[in-house]
Amino acid sequence: MTNTRTLQRVSFSLICIACLSACGVTARMEPYKQTNVVINEGDQVVVLARKHHATHEAEEGFVECISESLGRGRDAIEVHPTQAFEDTLYPWFEPSMAPLSTEELSELLEKPGVMDRVRDTGVRFLVWLDGSTERTSSGGGISCAAGVGGAGCMGLAWWEDDARYDATVWDIEQLESAGTIYADFRGRSVMPAIIIPIPLIARPQAQACRGLTDQLREFLTSPYGYGAGPELG
Amino acid sequence: MMLRIRSYRPKISARSTVAVLGLFCLGGCASQVEVDAEFPRPLIEQLPLTVGIVLDETLTEYEHHEDIPEQITWTIRLGAANRVMLEQLLGTLFMTVPVDAIPTADSQSEHDGVIKPELERFEFEVPVRGRDNFAEVWMQYRLKLYEPDGDLIVDWPVSGYGKSEIMRDREGSLNEAAVVALREVGAAIATQFPSQPEVEYWLRERQNQVQVADSSFLIPTEDTGLVNEDSTTGTNDD
Repeated sequence: MTNTRTLQRVSFSLICIACLSACGVTARMEPYKQTNVVINEGDQVVVLARKHHATHEAEEGFVECISESLGRGRDAIEVHPTQAFEDTLYPWFEPSMAPLSTEELSELLEKPGVMDRVRDTGVRFLVWLDGSTERTSSGGGISCAAGVGGAGCMGLAWWEDDARYDATVWDIEQLESAGTIYADFRGRSVMPAIIIPIPLIARPQAQACRGLTDQLREFLTSPYGYGAGPELG
Repeated sequence: MMLRIRSYRPKISARSTVAVLGLFCLGGCASQVEVDAEFPRPLIEQLPLTVGIVLDETLTEYEHHEDIPEQITWTIRLGAANRVMLEQLLGTLFMTVPVDAIPTADSQSEHDGVIKPELERFEFEVPVRGRDNFAEVWMQYRLKLYEPDGDLIVDWPVSGYGKSEIMRDREGSLNEAAVVALREVGAAIATQFPSQPEVEYWLRERQNQVQVADSSFLIPTEDTGLVNEDSTTGTNDD
């Protein structure tokens, strides 16, 4: 009797450990900075989503998360509100009109009144966010039943989300790309159900926001050499 | 102490039950969206021409009804947004004057031209199931530009697409997608309409007419360029 109970406890503990270890996030970040520019006092940053894709674009919530996180904390950076920037420069930053390269940006800034309007905003760096969070796989199943004596569920469901983003930083003053940070956060969530479902949810998007914000802050405040790519030749 | 328990039985008539159920069904089966937005003034140079703008009721009271099978009936009111967007946009692109009708040979316009925008097509999609979690809107306008005598200069189709992630309610997301599409239409008009070949030709023609009209009052002098003809009366009789 005692042996059976011990065996049940050990089995339950093993299932819990297996579920907990299955749930988690793996992260990969590749920052690459190609200039020595750093943000000065009074310079502002604006975070914009690339919206020219038909199928996917950086979620509004993710852009807000990056903007708010950059502007918070001890090493806060002055962040210009995204919507205010797009409105001030309307129609030049609408999805179909936004510059796709720094050459297009310099052409845009030559248009009458555009450079003055950008200067008025105080924005020096544009951070273009591209990518999205997608469900890459899911499986398992939970079945529930209810009767006179009670109700309960049994089974195991899991799913995997992939938050893949890159942030490209443009320097408006130098009219060049300062570099790119690539972030890939994969999260596996599991939901075991032993009578009641216990969700163990991984949040790769929230972690990608945190990771990308930290990297962007370092990117904008550290000079040349930070996260530099491989030296050629 | 005695505790008296009174059994309460609500009096619900069959008629009121049917009415409540009917209202519930109607509320649940129909969605209404009044597209509401403020549009920023575009950062473009104003063209030095005065244009009459015809915004008729088909545009300013535009409503789109669509009954989606096995889903709900949508009513999307776009009229107010149409008016705000087009007045703001065309008022920045040209010096505009509201007019009631397109000019004709008999009732010519005193302006350089007349523009009549029309909303030709409106399409939308709000997914109910599946992984695609975006409300989408596509719309196509026609911008008709007329000569002061009523001749059609150009009938230019311009379209806009917008999508918005469905966060809380589908109506709100559809509203946002419609606003994105309207902003796209505005962006296309502001940047592409003046460069349409027919419009470019009309602009050149009108500006030449203005220059000719101005130069008829000005003649060049030897040393300093242009002098008003009134001050040199009698020197140019030949």
